[in-house]
Amino acid sequence: MLGYIGKRLAMAIPILLGVSLVIFITIKIIPGDPIASLLGPTGTPESRAALESRMGLDRPLPVQYVAWLSHTVVGDFGTSIARRTDVAPMVLDALGNTLILTAAAAVLAIVLGVGIGVLTALRRNSLAARLGNAFALFSISVPQYSVGLLLIIYLAAGAGLFPVSGMYNPSSGGGVVDLFNHLILPAATAALVPAGIIARMFRSAVLDVMSQDFIEALHSRGLSRRRVMAHAFHNTVPSLLTVAGLQIGNLLGGVVFVEAVFAWPGIGLLVYQSITQRDLPVIQAGVLVSAFAFVMLNLLVDALHGLVDPRVRT
Amino acid sequence: MTALTDVAPPRPPAATGVTRRRRRRMSTTARIAVVVVGLIVAVAVIGPFLVGDPNVGDTSRRLLAVGSPGHVFGTDGQGRDVLSRLVVGTRLSLLAGLVPVLFAAVLGTGLGMTAGLSGVWGHRTIMRTLDVFYAFPAVLLAIAIAAALGSGVSNSIIALAVILVPPVARVAETETRRLVDLDYMEAARASGASRGSIALRQVLPNVAPPVVVYCTALIGLSIVYAAGLSFLGLGVSPPTAEWGLMVSDHTQYIYSAPFLAAIPALAILIASVAFNVLGDGLRDLLDVRGEVRA
Repeated sequence: MLGYIGKRLAMAIPILLGVSLVIFITIKIIPGDPIASLLGPTGTPESRAALESRMGLDRPLPVQYVAWLSHTVVGDFGTSIARRTDVAPMVLDALGNTLILTAAAAVLAIVLGVGIGVLTALRRNSLAARLGNAFALFSISVPQYSVGLLLIIYLAAGAGLFPVSGMYNPSSGGGVVDLFNHLILPAATAALVPAGIIARMFRSAVLDVMSQDFIEALHSRGLSRRRVMAHAFHNTVPSLLTVAGLQIGNLLGGVVFVEAVFAWPGIGLLVYQSITQRDLPVIQAGVLVSAFAFVMLNLLVDALHGLVDPRVRT
Repeated sequence: MTALTDVAPPRPPAATGVTRRRRRRMSTTARIAVVVVGLIVAVAVIGPFLVGDPNVGDTSRRLLAVGSPGHVFGTDGQGRDVLSRLVVGTRLSLLAGLVPVLFAAVLGTGLGMTAGLSGVWGHRTIMRTLDVFYAFPAVLLAIAIAAALGSGVSNSIIALAVILVPPVARVAETETRRLVDLDYMEAARASGASRGSIALRQVLPNVAPPVVVYCTALIGLSIVYAAGLSFLGLGVSPPTAEWGLMVSDHTQYIYSAPFLAAIPALAILIASVAFNVLGDGLRDLLDVRGEVRA
């Protein structure tokens, strides 16, 4: 098992290097002149050359990349151009907030998805199953930004049941209850798509397992329906893990629309705001940290997968 | 928003050596989806000729309610007719979603087939490079690329194509690898067919169906993403009529005219549902069943 995890970890390193290279190149092609915006209208060619040399921008691109990477691996993401503060704490804070939202959405999505998946697989022609199928179809097709807006209009602004945006109420001083209240609508919005996908995938996983011979064998041995279902469920865990893991990973990046609509101070909102401000170090760090979290999450899912299903370890 | 991995890649036919050929028909829901997709395409093609200029507004008639005389869907904050904007916006919204999928289909099939047909190193180089793109949360990568290239519909198309190529390539590669070991491929090689001819005549016709099914299911997703990029200000620029931009425009009036933001959002939803159901229907019809992705 340790060998398997070590192998996956070793495979992640070249991927992360590739990720850093893609981000570096993407940032280099961003239009606009960061030096000019730093210098302002009073900049002279001499001051420009001095600043370029101080920031290392006059060196060849490969040298710039290695320099940037060597700072990045020790957690030094540079200074934000717009906010004039260290990027690292800002990005880590935002990542924490995104993880809170992602975790809440993931719990909701898994509970809903598994529930609907089981229902639609086992009671195939019932009304509830039809409704479940329709829900799954609509939830994967829905634009999250619109759902978020509708929830804000009717439940937050209209009915006043929830706060409209943000993570804490500035006047109440925070607290878990306040956070929970702010979390419900964004988490529900973010959970819609993964819930639909988990429901559809889990439905086919349950149907797949239920059609296998060993289920027939268990029935014929006189096991109760409940016991048979327990065996069946055990066999769907690897598929559930894979789908849920992928979905949680996708949530990390997919919540950007939700964060933008609900002004949730996560990494998506930070990157989005930094794009409008052309704050390159923050964009770089934000995307890099998300990709890193994404790769780590996939590793964790792989490890869990190896734990519950020994066949994949080979 | 859905992610790329949400669309289940098709499962190859059971490895019994016998191709199941059963007469299959599309479900009623899938047929309805065909009609809806047809209608959307028709609106995109001829709609702009039937309605007035979407950019002409009369500020004295701003924020008219749905059902107002002369303005079935009301007017927006600048007094422009929402129906006209919706109809004219169909073309761009549809193109912004369709074109990246087309790009991804061609490029992804090419890359996937090349990887599947080449030796260990060629295969490894292509697939490991694609893995790098898999390591990004897709939406965030699209946003970063769109931001890097600057706003504009062509840049949003490029950004979406970049994130759609890797999953399409994976589907094409899996299918190609499955074909490579089959007897008829051996026969083609033994008969002296060139690699190019094998790729085009033996592999492509068999790789195409699952790729087409997969890509159809990607269209709905791509439409939602494209509108999302415009919603964030990274797609088309105002005053162009486009659904995502309309949602973003109308958001400022959510308290005074809440229905306004719902109208373009519903259009996006309907288009996305229709393409997703069509994808499901095609998958059943062509007997390439979806599976839980491992």
